[in-house]
Amino acid sequence: MSQATMSPAPALPTPGHGATPPPRRSAMKRLARRSSTTAFLLTLPLILLILGLVVYPFLYAVYLSMLNKRQNRFVWFDNFSFLLGRETFWDVVFQSVLFAVSAVLLKAMIGFILAHVLHALPAKGQRKWRGMLLVPWVIPPAISTLAWWWLFDPSYSAFNWALAGIGVDPVPWLGATGWARFSVILVNVWYGSPFFMIMYLAALKSVPDQLYEASAIDGASGWQKLRYVTFPMMRNIISITVLFSLIVTFANFDIVRILTNGGPQDSTHVFATYAFQVGIQSGDIPLGASVSLFMFPLLAAFAIFTLRGVNKRTKEMA
Amino acid sequence: MEGNGFTRRSVLRTGIAGAAASALPLVNVHGQTAGGKLALGLWDHWVPAGNDAMRKIVMEWGQKNRVDIQLDFITSVGNKNLLTIAAEAQAKQGHDMLSFPTWEVHSQSELLEPMDDVVTRLQEKYGSLNPIVEYLGKVEGKWRAVPAISGSQNKPSLGRIDLLKQHGGIDVQAMYPASDTPGSAAEWNWDTFLKAAEGCQKAGLPFGLPLGNFPDANDWVGSLFRSFGAELVNAKGETTAKTDNVRRVLEYAQKLCTFLPNDVFSWDDASNNRALISGKSALIFNPPSAWAVAKRDAPQVAEQCWTFPAPAGTAGRFTPYLPYFWGVWGFSRNKGAAKALVEYLSQREQAQTMVTASNGYDIPPFTSMTDFDAWAKEGPPTGVVYNYPVRPHHKAEQFIADYPAPPAMAVQMYNQGIQAKMIARVVQNKEPIERTITWVERELEGFKRG
Amino acid sequence: MSTAAAPTTPFVPAERGHGSIAAERRWAMIGAYIALAVFVVFFMVPPFHMLVTSLKSSAEIADLSGNPWIVTRPTLANYWELLTQGNYLIHFRNSVIVTLCTVVISMVVSTMAAFALARMKFWGSATLATGVFLTYLVPETLLFIPMFQIVGHLGLYNNLWAMVLIFPTLTVPFCTWIMIGYFASIPKELDEAALIDGAGHIQMLVKIFIPVAMPGILAAMIFAFTVSWAAFIYPIAFLVSSDQMVLTVGIVSDLIRADTFQWGKIMAGALMAALPPLLVYAFLMDYYIAGLTAGATKG
Repeated sequence: MSQATMSPAPALPTPGHGATPPPRRSAMKRLARRSSTTAFLLTLPLILLILGLVVYPFLYAVYLSMLNKRQNRFVWFDNFSFLLGRETFWDVVFQSVLFAVSAVLLKAMIGFILAHVLHALPAKGQRKWRGMLLVPWVIPPAISTLAWWWLFDPSYSAFNWALAGIGVDPVPWLGATGWARFSVILVNVWYGSPFFMIMYLAALKSVPDQLYEASAIDGASGWQKLRYVTFPMMRNIISITVLFSLIVTFANFDIVRILTNGGPQDSTHVFATYAFQVGIQSGDIPLGASVSLFMFPLLAAFAIFTLRGVNKRTKEMA
Repeated sequence: MEGNGFTRRSVLRTGIAGAAASALPLVNVHGQTAGGKLALGLWDHWVPAGNDAMRKIVMEWGQKNRVDIQLDFITSVGNKNLLTIAAEAQAKQGHDMLSFPTWEVHSQSELLEPMDDVVTRLQEKYGSLNPIVEYLGKVEGKWRAVPAISGSQNKPSLGRIDLLKQHGGIDVQAMYPASDTPGSAAEWNWDTFLKAAEGCQKAGLPFGLPLGNFPDANDWVGSLFRSFGAELVNAKGETTAKTDNVRRVLEYAQKLCTFLPNDVFSWDDASNNRALISGKSALIFNPPSAWAVAKRDAPQVAEQCWTFPAPAGTAGRFTPYLPYFWGVWGFSRNKGAAKALVEYLSQREQAQTMVTASNGYDIPPFTSMTDFDAWAKEGPPTGVVYNYPVRPHHKAEQFIADYPAPPAMAVQMYNQGIQAKMIARVVQNKEPIERTITWVERELEGFKRG
Repeated sequence: MSTAAAPTTPFVPAERGHGSIAAERRWAMIGAYIALAVFVVFFMVPPFHMLVTSLKSSAEIADLSGNPWIVTRPTLANYWELLTQGNYLIHFRNSVIVTLCTVVISMVVSTMAAFALARMKFWGSATLATGVFLTYLVPETLLFIPMFQIVGHLGLYNNLWAMVLIFPTLTVPFCTWIMIGYFASIPKELDEAALIDGAGHIQMLVKIFIPVAMPGILAAMIFAFTVSWAAFIYPIAFLVSSDQMVLTVGIVSDLIRADTFQWGKIMAGALMAALPPLLVYAFLMDYYIAGLTAGATKG
């Protein structure tokens, strides 16, 4: 599966970097002076967007999570300590972790495999395969989940109909704890894998062929190429994609809401659906906010850790 | 036929009084808000004609009173209406008047304009309101919203005439004919229901009773519990789950579940409709929407449908009821006009228009308004929804699950489907009843948070 | 799964004969196609079922006795009614407007920011970059409440343009990071070469970075397109009038009424909604792969 043997890509002319003389010192200095103003101006739109539309709402949300139910008293962390004492909430924590971690792992794996396979295909065949593999990601998930729900439907599951055809007993896709957990993860994997695929594919495409050629000359096996060439080159993209996906999968709402609404017996509730149930439906918005923010410290630590790694590697590369 | 004369008289009386009363606030409107604006967010009716009728009523009122109307229909699908209410409540802006579903009046009571004057005038004209809307709409002695017509629904039995006769041993048309003469309904209780459920299940046409965490499930299970006298929390907010009545209702549910499809625990609000429409189920609890869709997609099924009250238990007969409310935000800049409009919408004439346009789906909050001919005329079969509104000879009460627990608790019990979950534990997990009761006591403790 | 076999192909020294490499290539190919076939089936089953359902009349959908995977009396009525009655086309147009604007805004904001963050180390740049990503940690299901206040104060409640304002918060952080990654992998020598030629930062960005990092930019663009095309929570909370709605919320709110679903139309609507992104990707992906292989860009 090595790039060197598979890809019909022409050998690329290498820009003659080595021939470039080192830039003059004065030019570098001039640039440094100008650069901080330019950098500020370039990041200004981003800063404004974040300050106005995220930082303020975020602080407000944190404030909200520290109010009492009637929202007329500040109670610090009472909502959180209340949650810690609830049996149902711990079920939600367990299920959210199970849901997010297993879905992200599966998505990352499937995306990785598909990206490699696609990358290895001859250019002219790639298009239609790519098109088909992208389909789950282009149907708005709020609606494709409805289609899944119809496939799982208790009284008339199209899957069960097909299974009956080969003599298998009907499966309670959404009715029994284990199957329901499996089903919501399956739908999330179905929806999210193409995203990983596309991100990895873009990363794979930007791994220089020369590296593969060099490793081929060194006699590296396919596995070694993957381990020592592909993987290090893709690490940043993998980190960011996995991090992003983990965060949004933890916040996933549509799939569970539409398929099971947390059932059977709360066994598929994730943070967002549970927060919705206690916050919006049962009129306890501060408690709902606390549920939504429960994972914040943990995920924030994980994110900072991951992003620092990305930053470090970025610096090394540069 | 004495009922008829009474009705006609009351129609006349209320008609005149209604015209006089609805003229009254108009003067105020002109005084306060001539040329004002009013933004309305009303429930998006599942019958498109319901929206059209509503738009016509509201626009005509706006023209007459020189109020600029902006009318949005907000669907309850995806809980869009709840999201809108929550967001507007936090931001203290948005519409002037909204449709509030069942529990929202209590949640938002502090932000809602008191409606006591409107409700008092309406009650003087149309008689008293049922205790459920009072429980849901009156907070600390003040009406914070007016029970709405559009969207309010009952969920009585909706069964197949032929299948129930053939396999269930009951003739629902004879029990509840399309007239006010009581039929042979004396024996319509949960025991008869169980036998019918067994018969239909054996014939491969099981009753479609959902037990997931969705309103349709909560509503019928709530009525089941109530008619066994099984009350989990009393009006004072004390847990009262450890009683024989609770044990009895769970034992009954165990028996009943053996005659239901085994996947009912994952059914949602559309599953039961589908079961009925496809002809695979002999009975569901639902408003007439299922029948109306069957009329379009499976006419041979629709012709055999009949709506009749829920079965009775030892504590009485309780028809599941899910009312909507019309409320005016306290932060509205045009409260006078909004209240006048709410009062206008609640009049008998408007109620009749809405009920007719919605094929009888809407249930007005006043018993005096259950005599509209729409319910008698709808068909086929003619009279299919005659017994959809609760009529005096049903000897039934409209009921919301988890009543009479304090609404702040009840809303959590309802939305977490606590009663259906008890049944699920007993049936799916085969948990001993005592352990389920201990579990529910612990859960209920968590709902007591102030 | 069979691709897992590909990396474990036995160690093949480069000096092996051509025939053996050809054989290895053939087996890898077969493995690749099997893997593709498996996943294509998995990925295409629900869309296929949607297609079948969208071709059925509501009576056929309601009849649960037949084979759910085939349609006996196909009809295009669902598509036709969507296109000729109701607001589907308006929702479609709104989605296109919102998505195009969001993509443009996201790409401009995040390309500029990523360039500055990747190449010009300035005070607080690392913190800013990390902070930007942390915005994802507050879920939309909570954020919509304070967001509503902002939108309300701007007078944009129930206004399509509120989405253009809000959606970039969903897209920009990730796009920025993706592009930081791509920009960082561009060799420093290129900057220096540009500097020698007397180019400023902006020229450097436009002339070198953007063309060189095109695959990354297109990947980010695809991401931004999909996210704003599929966004659900914000539109459902902020848009109430049918003429302002985008596709996702329009389909849900117009085609599902209480407990009655117009399944055929929902499926037809969803499939048609999937077409524009699919076309965009088909085009963009080819373009970026072409750009990759043609450009003399790899260090």
